[in-house]
Amino acid sequence: MTTNKREKSLIVIQLSGGNDYLNTIIPYAEGKYYDSRTTVNIPQDRVIPINDQLGFNPSMGPIKALWDEGKVAVINGIGYQNPNRSHFRSMDIWHTAEPDTIGKEGWLGRAIRDIDPLGENVLTGINFGRGLPRALACPGVSVASVGDLATYGLFPDVQDEELRMFTLEAFSKMYGGAAGRDPVMDLLGQTGKDALQGADILRTAPGMYSSTVEYSPDALAQNVKSISQVFHANLGAKVLYTQHGPFDTHSGELLSHAKLWNEVAGAIGSLMEDLKEHGTEDDATILVFSEFGRRIKDNGSGSDHGSGGGAFLIGGAVNGGLYGEYPSLAEAEQIEGDLRSNNDFRSVYTNILEDWMGLDAAPIVNGQFEKFDVFKS
Amino acid sequence: MMINNDTSLMAHLLRRAGFGATRDELEKYLALGYEGAVEVLLNPSEPNNMPDDLIRRYHVDQSELRDIAGSAAYWMYRMISTSCPLEEKTALFWHGLFATGYAKLNQARSLLNQVDMFRRSGMGSFEDLLVELSQDPAMIVWLDNIENHGSAINENFGRELLELFSMGIGNYTEDDIKECSRAFTGWTLGNAEYMSIRAAKDSIWPYGRIAWHFDYRKEDHDDDEKTFLGETGNFNGEDIIAIIAKQESTAQFVATRLFQFFAADEVTEYGEKAIQAMIETYFSSGYQVRDMLRTLFHSDYFKSEEARYARVKNPVEMVVGAIRMAGSYQNPALGIEKVSQNMLFMGQGLLQPPTVEGWHEGSEWIDSGALVERVNFVAKELSNVKSPGVRSIIDRLETGSDAGILDPAELADGCLDLLGPIEVSEATRSVLVEYAARLGNLDLKDHLQGDLAEQRVGNMLRLVAATREYQLA
Amino acid sequence: MSTQTKSPGIILDYVKTIGIVNNGFNGRGFANPYDIIADDDGQIFVLNRCDPARASAIRIGICNLDDEYLGEFGSGNGSGNGQFNWPVAMALDSQGNLHITDEYNHRVTTYTTAGEYVSHWGTPGSEDGELNGPAGIAFDSADNLFVVDQHNSRVQKFSVDGTFIAKWGSSGSGDGKFNLPWGIAVDSDDNVYVADWRNDRIQKFSNDGKFIAVFGSSGQGEGQFQRPTNITVDLEGFIYVADWGNERVQVLAGDGSFQLLLKGEATLSKWADEYLASNPEEKAERDVSNLTPNLPAHLNTPYHTSSQTEPYFWGPVSLTLDDQGRLYVVETNRHRFQVYQKR
Repeated sequence: MTTNKREKSLIVIQLSGGNDYLNTIIPYAEGKYYDSRTTVNIPQDRVIPINDQLGFNPSMGPIKALWDEGKVAVINGIGYQNPNRSHFRSMDIWHTAEPDTIGKEGWLGRAIRDIDPLGENVLTGINFGRGLPRALACPGVSVASVGDLATYGLFPDVQDEELRMFTLEAFSKMYGGAAGRDPVMDLLGQTGKDALQGADILRTAPGMYSSTVEYSPDALAQNVKSISQVFHANLGAKVLYTQHGPFDTHSGELLSHAKLWNEVAGAIGSLMEDLKEHGTEDDATILVFSEFGRRIKDNGSGSDHGSGGGAFLIGGAVNGGLYGEYPSLAEAEQIEGDLRSNNDFRSVYTNILEDWMGLDAAPIVNGQFEKFDVFKS
Repeated sequence: MMINNDTSLMAHLLRRAGFGATRDELEKYLALGYEGAVEVLLNPSEPNNMPDDLIRRYHVDQSELRDIAGSAAYWMYRMISTSCPLEEKTALFWHGLFATGYAKLNQARSLLNQVDMFRRSGMGSFEDLLVELSQDPAMIVWLDNIENHGSAINENFGRELLELFSMGIGNYTEDDIKECSRAFTGWTLGNAEYMSIRAAKDSIWPYGRIAWHFDYRKEDHDDDEKTFLGETGNFNGEDIIAIIAKQESTAQFVATRLFQFFAADEVTEYGEKAIQAMIETYFSSGYQVRDMLRTLFHSDYFKSEEARYARVKNPVEMVVGAIRMAGSYQNPALGIEKVSQNMLFMGQGLLQPPTVEGWHEGSEWIDSGALVERVNFVAKELSNVKSPGVRSIIDRLETGSDAGILDPAELADGCLDLLGPIEVSEATRSVLVEYAARLGNLDLKDHLQGDLAEQRVGNMLRLVAATREYQLA
Repeated sequence: MSTQTKSPGIILDYVKTIGIVNNGFNGRGFANPYDIIADDDGQIFVLNRCDPARASAIRIGICNLDDEYLGEFGSGNGSGNGQFNWPVAMALDSQGNLHITDEYNHRVTTYTTAGEYVSHWGTPGSEDGELNGPAGIAFDSADNLFVVDQHNSRVQKFSVDGTFIAKWGSSGSGDGKFNLPWGIAVDSDDNVYVADWRNDRIQKFSNDGKFIAVFGSSGQGEGQFQRPTNITVDLEGFIYVADWGNERVQVLAGDGSFQLLLKGEATLSKWADEYLASNPEEKAERDVSNLTPNLPAHLNTPYHTSSQTEPYFWGPVSLTLDDQGRLYVVETNRHRFQVYQKR
């Protein structure tokens, strides 16, 4: 189901493993940074300055270029009270917007339900990668998980095109029967039809896409390219999600972290170029987040799980700038050796849900949270 | 459309008490007769599964069991190679019911030790099982009993023990929860604080994980008088469980949950009769789960048409069932953890239930993403004509045919039979036959490995795996 | 703690532990190590088998007794030049090159000790010179190469570049027969010892494969083994056995008589100290914990005991000697090696 009206979409890039915030937005003018990070630090002369206090990691060149264009909002010191340093638990908290109890519905799953309550467009939310992240999970909400866009769908292992076609045809007949006696069989029938339809539609996206932008061959860039293809195919996809990692740099951090950010910045740079080329820079906003930051002191080779990280909102509709406060490294301000966050992640969610997606945020994020002035009006 | 014969009933039993059966397995059980088969299933002896030393030699991650991926694969190896499938299904049942998840523990070994406990005690007395569960280190951390001190109680375990693991809401008061929690103070781990901080931080340093064991801290235990469900005494945990075990509501709970896992997703009036019979057995046998299962498997309901295909297969049954049928992965294989991940992609990650409520089974397994994963995985397994189980199907089709020739209906029916037998609607069957008819009769005489004739069988098996009916147990 | 017979001919004193788990990134630490070699220049090579989820940690790491991490080379997963899928064991030839077996790729890869890939050889099969699951690997004094060909139930002798010379063995449990053999060692008389893994014993052969002796039987007692994985022999003829399934190391005299066994007594390595220094809350709890607790009955097997008791060997899959009488025992599941000094 295509639409002529250009919809506003949210693109999410999840950094899995706990991105080291201190080495992403670097307080290079602070002595305490170098005192704590005796090994795992970025030398002053390699930092890309934002101002005379903070700078980007040297691998973030493309992000700096976008920053200069005013398209990057950096949310400093983002997190939640009572930081949890377990990957699974903390990521669940970000996914369900529920720091205190175990939430079962994803914030984006709820958003998709609000956008399309009758489930008329099975492609409203799409995950690029296998295994649905809980952020997108919500009972009754259908979300495709696309491992590989080119081969997405049923029977991808059938090489013979003709055979695959006949098999899909047979599948369609078996699932296409009229509703009948059995609610489970009916559910299966409807779901099978949705899956076929979703796959049929998604498969057209690469064919409709044309661009001069080159994406790197790494997994993230390829997923982001798929996102661009689907976004520009105008299929009504409002939430497009993918992830990258592992950011869990307990050892050998400097090399790995640099490589990872090379990939992230490269993919975002390519994507923004692609949006510019299509004239859609104002129609997509990119959210980049991670489940926690890392400890202030390094462990000699890397850094361990901490708290109080950072997030990014990037896009033509974003009011570029620094938001929140950069967490203090002073002993008195630390939480057990970690950075103390100063804004709740649900504030940024509220911004996105209300200002970008036009939804009522409070029921989705389980509360009212103060917003930033992060979107252009 | 039920075929009411012994073969069909046995296939039904083996889908429920196991992960389905190849025709070879089915014939072995048929030789025992239904009652004999039930007894063999209920009394697991030597599982003859893929040996631990072999697994650990090749899969170092399964030797260490540090992280989730290899650990899920380790259990999967057990399920695909065991000759005691009911032992594994029962362990899976308790794993879903007493749902304890990796996310908070960051310790896969403790979860697998818990699964081991389910194998040891899962078909015995429910009372004994609850005691073992209360002493299980993974459970102690999962529901915060590690924070339950005589000086300051934590009610999480006490509450869920009553709400989710036995009687259910409405059968006890908030005061009962408090008294119950008091009784379990001091039930903790050895080196509890060190283990706790390591779990919270997901610490694998310096030398990998240190496994957990139960420790009773007498000095932390609240020894005073307690009143629980109207009885008074200086109760410790075992005493509370003894009181829980004799409640009617506990019997109802256990019987219903067993019914929903082994008999049908929905409880109908007819099904309720089987549950009542199981409740009687619960009391008459001294809370024995084995006896309750026997009652269920011998009930009229279980053998009736209403019970056939009354469950949606869970992802574990989909993946393990397909692998057992295809006879693949019989030896340690590089990349096995990617295979076990398919269950996660279908919505059921072993050792990773999303919350203490476990997974929502039945039709909730079905959504478009999951359906695509389910169909694709099974289709790929069953269409691989190199796998020994598929080859066995091809050979049986040839042997059972007229001089090696199968007409389209015979090919379709033959595959439906050997994969089950699986009963499908006329509408489904006609699509299968039509699909086969595209290439006319199939000649399996002198077939060579991987040739077109064999591939046609593989293609039919693929399509059967893709039917709606195949999604049901 | 070491357990010793009345008057053993050998005494081993614990020296130190080196290692820390590395979860897949570059830098110090090990990831499920499977073999260890110490050269005469004080370099210690550790072969990381690693779990698939962190294939970037499949490699050889180099360190020394001063806990310096000197470098690493090799990579996984794959079968390209210098890549490994299931690396098993290493051997050092007289020219200072390392030869590493891979039981999935069915081949032997050669690296210089400086970490440069040289070449690889080996084709899967059961003909002379072909390999099916090459495991243990060792050189004799003439640079003849012995490879344990596990799924072909035999030992093959090659020249250093992989040219077939001889073979012996077949499947079974009699003299000269093997069941999934693993490690191999050569003594100062150029006799060959094989860890006959699933037969729970060690077999000794002459340099050309003539059966000489068998040591051990299945069990947990002294002189008994459970899936022994590797052996090494010192200049006096003492045989050191990595008794993997019993989570211990046993030392036999040359006649096979039991001398002593080691259960492992690891202490904090320098790298471990560094980690704990930057995680003081964890260290504080660790310091008041009992790391050798009593265990409930159902956890009393050697495997479960070691999983709960951090100082004990856990997965002691290989061991080696240096030229100073030091014994290095590498543990797969603890990502470290323990060093003992022969008195």
